[in-house]
This record gives sequence, C-alpha cells and structure tokens, in this order.
Amino acid sequence: MTETASSTKVPETVLKRKALREKIKAKRLQEAAKLKKQRKERRKEIFKRAEQYVKEYREKERAEIEARRRAKAEKKFYVPAGAKVAFVIRIRGINGVDPRTRKILQLLRLRQIHNGVFVKVNKATMQMLHRVEPYIAYGYPNLKSVRELIYKRGFVKIGKRGAWSRIPITDNRLIEDVLGKYGIICVEDMIHEIYTCGRHFKKVNRFLWPFKLNSPRGGFSRHGKRRHFIEGGEFGNREHLIDRLIKKMI
Amino acid sequence: MVSVAVARPLVSVFSVEGEGTEGEVALPTVFTAPIRSDVVRSVHTRMALNKRQPYAVSSKAGMQSSAESWGTGRAVARIPRVPGGGTHRAGQGAFGNMCRGGRRFAPTKIWRRWHRKITKNEKRYAVASALAASALTSLVLARGHRIERVSEVPLVIGDQAQTLKKTKSAVALLEKIGAYEDVVKVKESKKLRAGKGKLRNRRYTQRRGPLIIYEKDEGIVKAFRNLPGVELCRVDSLNLLQLAPGGHLGRFCIWTKSAFQKLDEIFGTFTQPSQQKKDYTLPKSILTNCDIGRIINSDEVQSVLRPKVVRKRISIRKKNPLKNKNEMFKLNPYSRVLLKEAREATSKPSQKKQKRLMRRKNKEVKKIGREYYKSIVA
Repeated sequence: MTETASSTKVPETVLKRKALREKIKAKRLQEAAKLKKQRKERRKEIFKRAEQYVKEYREKERAEIEARRRAKAEKKFYVPAGAKVAFVIRIRGINGVDPRTRKILQLLRLRQIHNGVFVKVNKATMQMLHRVEPYIAYGYPNLKSVRELIYKRGFVKIGKRGAWSRIPITDNRLIEDVLGKYGIICVEDMIHEIYTCGRHFKKVNRFLWPFKLNSPRGGFSRHGKRRHFIEGGEFGNREHLIDRLIKKMI
Repeated sequence: MVSVAVARPLVSVFSVEGEGTEGEVALPTVFTAPIRSDVVRSVHTRMALNKRQPYAVSSKAGMQSSAESWGTGRAVARIPRVPGGGTHRAGQGAFGNMCRGGRRFAPTKIWRRWHRKITKNEKRYAVASALAASALTSLVLARGHRIERVSEVPLVIGDQAQTLKKTKSAVALLEKIGAYEDVVKVKESKKLRAGKGKLRNRRYTQRRGPLIIYEKDEGIVKAFRNLPGVELCRVDSLNLLQLAPGGHLGRFCIWTKSAFQKLDEIFGTFTQPSQQKKDYTLPKSILTNCDIGRIINSDEVQSVLRPKVVRKRISIRKKNPLKNKNEMFKLNPYSRVLLKEAREATSKPSQKKQKRLMRRKNKEVKKIGREYYKSIVA
C-alpha cells in the first residue's frame, strides 16, 4: 500500500485480515505465557524428583552395604532381596524357531535378534523365560545399566492402535503426555519406576519400545549361543553379570 | 464465469448499412449456461466420429487359394502350402499373415462400430456450453480468432445482413465490424497438409474463421460462402462441430439480430423450458457462486475458522544424553549438579581457590602455634 494522502482507502478485507491476525496473535502470546509458566514449574518439580531419586539410590546402596557388614559382624548371613526386574536380550535369530518359543518371545516383545526388554520378576515371567532360555540372555541389571539403556537407546511408543511410532526420547513432554496421569513426568521418573519396579512398572515398560541393541563388541564367548552361560556359553540367566553384556551391546 | 444471478446485459446490434449500432437486445440465457469443457470435449470426440466412411481390406484378400498344410514328417514348416506343380507358386506358404501373398493379421472389417450414439441431452448441453463460451472474449481470443478490432462479443449485426447478395458487400460488412482480420488469418494460413492426407483428397489445411449464424437465408449464404474460413449456420440447427472445432471452446460467432433473438425460444431460460426442444430447460451449474476465493475470504467462512495449527514434528534427531551435556540437561535438570559434584570430586581446586585454602590453612596453623607459645610462656 502506498503512503499517499491520508484519504487513501484501504480495502476492507485487508483491515479485517489485520484485525483477525492481531486477535490470534494476542491469544497465542497469552497461551505461550501460560505455557511458559507451567513449564518452569514442571522443571522445578523434575529437579526435585531427580534430586530425591539420587538420594534414594545412594541410601539404598549404603543400606545394602551396611546390612552386609552388620551381618558379617554378627557372624550371621545376609540374604539380599531377590531381584525385582530382569533385563532380557534375545540372542538368537528368527529362523527355525518352534511355535511355543516363538509365541513366548512375541509376548515378551522380543521379535528381533539383540532386542532387549525389561521384565518384572515373578513366578509367571520366570517360567516364561525358562521356556525360551536357549534364545535369550537375561539377568538383573544395575542402576547404571538401566540409566544407560533408557538414555542412549530409549524410544517410546506413541500413537494409537494401528498407528504406533517409535519416537526417540528427546523431551520430557513426550513422557508426561502419556504417563502424566500415573505421576511419571520425566526420564528420571521412568528410570526410577523401572529400576525399583514401582506400581506402574507395566505401564512404563509398555511405553518403552523394545531396546534395539548392537551386537556385542568383542563378540560372544567361545561356545556362544549354543550353550548356557553356566557352561561357558551365552544363553540363560546370568544374574548380575548381565551388566557386562549390556555394556558390550549398548 | 458469468454468474447466473447477473441481470441480463444488453448487447448492441451493429447496423449493416450505416455506421454504428442500431439498437440493443437482451442477452439470451444460453450465454450464461455453465461452460463444461469436459462435456464439450467428450461430445465432440464422439460426434466427430459420425461422419466417417467405413474402410476395410477386401474380405477375400490372401485367402483365394486352396492351400493345405503338408502336416509333419516332410521336413518343412507346417504352414498351409499351395498345391499343384509346375509353377513357382506351388508349395509356397499361403494364408498366414507371415506368408508372402497371405492374408494380413486381423483384416479390417466394415462392421467396425464407426458411429457413436450420443444422448440428446448431452448434445444439447454441449451446444449450450459452446454458445456460452463463444460469448467470452478471453475464450474466443484463446482459441485463436483475431478479434482485436471487434468491439463487442457476442457480435450481433442487423437483419439486413441476411439479404446480402454480393461477396463484395459481405467483405465490406466484415471489415466494418472488425471481423475481417479473422478471415485474413485464414487466407494466410492455407498450407499443404502434413502427412498422407495430402494424397487422400485433403490436400490443404487452413484455420477456421468466423461462424455466421442467421435465421433466414435471403442471400447471406451465397454472399459469405466463398470467403475462406467463414462458415454459415442456421440458428435452428447449431452444430457443435462448428461451435467448438476440435473440441475447443470459443468459436468467433457473428449473429444476425433475428437469430440472436430466436435463441431464447430455442433454448429457453433456466426457469422457462424451451419452446422448440421438447421437455428441455437449460442445464444449471452446480455452483451458484464459482468464485472460490471470494467464498473462502468471506466473513461467514473466516469468522468460524480456527487459527492455523502448526504441528511441530514430534520426533527430531536423537542426541545421546550420555555424551551431549545439553541434551542431558534438557531431560534431567539435576544432571548439572551431579556433573559439578563429579568434577569437584576428581579435580583439584583452581589456583585461586588453592591459594585461598592454603592461606586459611596457614592461618589456622599459625593460630595453633601462637596458642602453644602462649601456653608455654604463661
């Protein structure tokens, strides 16, 4: 529009558009300010929780150590609590699998070689793992393994039935949108839920896409997948030594 | 596109004898019929098939021998062979499309479906569309007619044109109304046809000129018919092949006044059925307002639209938080605290801090020394 005399007429549509755009902009700025405040509060909350978890983990660790020492001092035996969470890795491929094993691996969401999932430890799941033992390597991961898996290889399942997507965890908002109603709003919450097998373990676990791990750096052992870990091979329950395998595969 | 709701405009009638115009007529409703180029094209392609003459090869060609196959066992191919002897022809292959002198593959037959039936209503729709298109200067210009000098489209001339007898006066009339350039265009476009049509009695091609539509022939046909490119047509029997040559809309039409006025009678209006065509009313457009831009920008639509939703991509490139400190901080704001702790645990304090700590330590040591001295002295 030229800047001639003030009596230049501006088309009405232009004025209307301008008014509408300004209204939209004002609304957007309002929303943005509100959101910003919300997010700031969220960040504070996440900070507090992370701090609390760090303290909790350290206390737990110290408690274990103290209990062990106390038992030793009193000439008694310390029996640590059984593991609550296992990490299962599929170490065999998909060809030539018998139907029962195939089905159980599907139920565990281990559809591909070197896929890993967290599994709650109870009689039912242990029996399932036992059935498919030659196909998996599993054990009880420590905190570091859990953290590294979720931070480095963490992808989440977003979408709806028939239209799931494997989305990388790039923002806490992804987690909050889905798990917010269970009080899980950030990655640290997820890690805590998994590691300590909280009330919403299943929800968080299902939210996580099965971990796609590398083949182990340095390879499998000499007898490899053909033998149980106990016999010098790789498959089966290797309890706390799963961390080493995870480190090689992450 | 002319909207249906527009009031009927007036078209000036150009006088044949004198100068300028001799009155005005209302635009017949046909010229506001919907312009359906798809209908026109499909009707035209079918209509153009109807003037064809059948062609075929002779049904007996290549089959006029008593050839029979020799069968197997004779070290020759199994094609039917001409019987007899004493001539080159004996024993030669016959009948097959691969044989010399044999019948061709799939000989053309005269009972091929040469003509196409077109429903009456479709034909009328196409004509109505073509007429409507002929009233739009842009379409007529786009079709290639030289109407730059023509002052008004549709071009209507007085009824005296119907009584013209001499071609000379016809030319003079066309020059007066500015339509002669179109005729010149045709004259200059006469060229040898490319292709075999040359040898098949279609030696020359030329463009199409104006189409003159009259009501009653009182000499007009004879006056105009020798002009190259000029075609004549009676109002009662408008031909789509002339109104939309090649299936392309926008023929330059010159109407005589009585022909123009008869159109309302022939085609009727949107509400009043035609008087000549039984049970026929002009086709109506599906849209009453074809200006989509205007509809979209109207208040009624804009006021109920929600603001545009900008969907951000839900997944961006993943960065490893275990290596990328900023990424880690994004996911876990406590990580900076932990990093700081880790750094302090492993590293020595900075020079300044070291100095400060040393000084404090020295101060304390000195204090202890002084106390001891005091205790000794005291």
